[in-house]
Amino acid sequence: MRTQLIRLIAAVAGTAVLAVGCGSGGTGQGAAGGKAEITLWQQKFTDQEDAWYKKAVAAFNKSQDKVVLKHVIVPADVWDQKMKAAQAAGKAPDIYTVNYSKVPGFARTGQIQALDPLIPAGKWAGLQESVVGSVEHKGKKYGYPMLVEPSAVLYYRKDLFAKAGLDPNKPPATWQELIDYGKKLTTKDVAGVVTAANQIDMAWSTWGLQWNAAGHLPISDDWSTPQAADAKYRQLLQVYQTLYQQGIMPKQPLAPYADANPLGQGKTAMMVCGSWAASVLLQDYPKMVADIGAAALPSFDGDTTKPTATLGGWTLVVDAKSKNARASADFVSWLLAGDPTLLVEFFKNTKFSKYSPRAAVADAIKDDPAAAENPWARTIEEQVVKYAKPEPAYDWAISLAFGKAIEKALQGKDIDQALQAADAEIKDVIAKNNLAGQGS
Amino acid sequence: MAVTSLRAARVERRAGVRARPRRESRAAFTMLAPLLVLLAVFVIWPLIHAVYISFFTWSFYDPAVFVGLENYINVVTDEEFVNSVVRGLLFSAMVVPVQVTIAFVFANLVKTVSRRMAAVMKVTIYVPAVISEVIAAIVFALIYTHRGGLLNWFLDFFGIEAIPWLGDTATALPAVAIPAIWIGMGVASLIMLAGLLDIPEAYYECASLDGAGPWTKMFRITLPLMKNVILFLLVTGFAASLQFLILPWLMTQGGPVNSTNLPNLFILQHFNTDLYVGYSIAAALLLFGVLGAVSAVIFRLVRSEKAMDA
Repeated sequence: MRTQLIRLIAAVAGTAVLAVGCGSGGTGQGAAGGKAEITLWQQKFTDQEDAWYKKAVAAFNKSQDKVVLKHVIVPADVWDQKMKAAQAAGKAPDIYTVNYSKVPGFARTGQIQALDPLIPAGKWAGLQESVVGSVEHKGKKYGYPMLVEPSAVLYYRKDLFAKAGLDPNKPPATWQELIDYGKKLTTKDVAGVVTAANQIDMAWSTWGLQWNAAGHLPISDDWSTPQAADAKYRQLLQVYQTLYQQGIMPKQPLAPYADANPLGQGKTAMMVCGSWAASVLLQDYPKMVADIGAAALPSFDGDTTKPTATLGGWTLVVDAKSKNARASADFVSWLLAGDPTLLVEFFKNTKFSKYSPRAAVADAIKDDPAAAENPWARTIEEQVVKYAKPEPAYDWAISLAFGKAIEKALQGKDIDQALQAADAEIKDVIAKNNLAGQGS
Repeated sequence: MAVTSLRAARVERRAGVRARPRRESRAAFTMLAPLLVLLAVFVIWPLIHAVYISFFTWSFYDPAVFVGLENYINVVTDEEFVNSVVRGLLFSAMVVPVQVTIAFVFANLVKTVSRRMAAVMKVTIYVPAVISEVIAAIVFALIYTHRGGLLNWFLDFFGIEAIPWLGDTATALPAVAIPAIWIGMGVASLIMLAGLLDIPEAYYECASLDGAGPWTKMFRITLPLMKNVILFLLVTGFAASLQFLILPWLMTQGGPVNSTNLPNLFILQHFNTDLYVGYSIAAALLLFGVLGAVSAVIFRLVRSEKAMDA
């Protein structure tokens, strides 16, 4: 009996151990046909971008015989969970796409490797310094910038402007004008303006407007002091409150901020969205293109040279625990610092709705006749990109605290109290995360 | 001689009494062993490990640094965490009593109708239980859509202006509570019905002979005998509703202004965005404590007793 019991326990324990050992992963460092295998996780973007990555990975695998690169596309909404699970299991991908704003934090916590020792110095030449700054931590570069895209552009329907008696060639130049135009354009079926409407979207999409309203972000440059209670932020919160309370923007978001479809579907007369919206509008709503105009968001004091957007973008990083860091960095270098024609194809596929921080690529794009396909590219470049600021590198909790303040204002709460609460929350985040002195 | 044989019989009986439990215990442990091993591997050990690592600040990359109770202090002094737990309790208070009441009424109704009708009703009420939370969240989000949503379209017939059900802090939490009630109603109703059917009809017949009316029967027979079933539904209902994640995540992302940010969603958001993991582990363990405390309070308030006929 005892023997049977021991056997039974051993069998169950063995099964359990096997079950634990065979947990999901799929980012292992196995060999494929004698070659080492490295893995790239790419966040799901548009179909055109995904296709470009697939094609590039196939070309890379064909171009050399040292490693095999495995390409995995991960939907954005499950990215964080999947990545955390992989990291916990020690199976994080060797290379992955990451937003610039996350790079310094990942570098600070040792999640990614510095690329300067792995990519030759000459390959870093010709990159915009401000963008390189976004991927640096303590003087080391942790990602190779691929693109920049301004976070906030005003798109508007010229035909609806004309119908409402507004000049279709004159987008709102002040926030008061935007509110007035919005009132005239709002109907039962069409919203006056669509923009970020929840704290998560407002936390990042308003970075440019935070700069514009107060001349600084809600935390000091060295991350030691909160600055959210600055009275200059009142005007920003007031605009959102007016737009929402007067029914100019929808009472419930029609889509997430990054989604450009509400404008294409005719659900709104004006829409604040990133430059990437151009790609969606050109691809999916070609008949509407002639009726859509683009402009910079209004500046609070009328100075059009002040930033209204931040320059976000995506880069590729190499995991700190990658066993094939050199090969991984070689791929990053091959893809982003190699032949410019490869990247020109990317910008072409995305209808020139993004901008290259690399001079060789930017010059090639300028000469490409297909660039004329995007009728808003020049306006965005000259009115938005030119004055935009890099994305902040501080912890997400700081941005979220300010996003929450805007959302409170949106819901009709007292603006000063909302700003005071954000200030207190940021102070708390600084203290609990020892952020003081970690900024620039 | 008679005395001697009696003693011998007692001794044998005692020996038998001792031998049987030992054999039974062995058999019981044998049968429980697989479950105990799985429990140890997948529940007890991870729990002990979670408690251990909650005293460290760590990521999956940096070496862990012992910080004592700092993570716990950070969590309990975080107004947002406390608010999320209070909100979770409020959400449970919206969901569970309504769910149990509807289940009770429904079960009584099923008991009174014909067998065929009862089968149809049972299937109908159970359907939401097999629908995934994701589908329920999407369906209800569409119903609640501000412009063009089914609910506002219906209200429009009565001249009621469209309400942003999920966009207003006053309505968002109750709006999320409704699908939560809907999803859990099927199981609660069937458990309630099983409990009702277990009450011997003789009790009601005797009560009728004594002149008891329906309300007297309800309060003197049905509810006292259903106490344990109701207790079970309250405890499991509170534990489940306090942990709802998918509904608020998909319907509102916890907004507006965190008004639907329930404890698990709060913890998940921290786990996803924090650079270090200690905070979310400590928060999860504290939530575990809250769940235990709530269950203990319910047990205390509604004491579990052996049914009269058992």
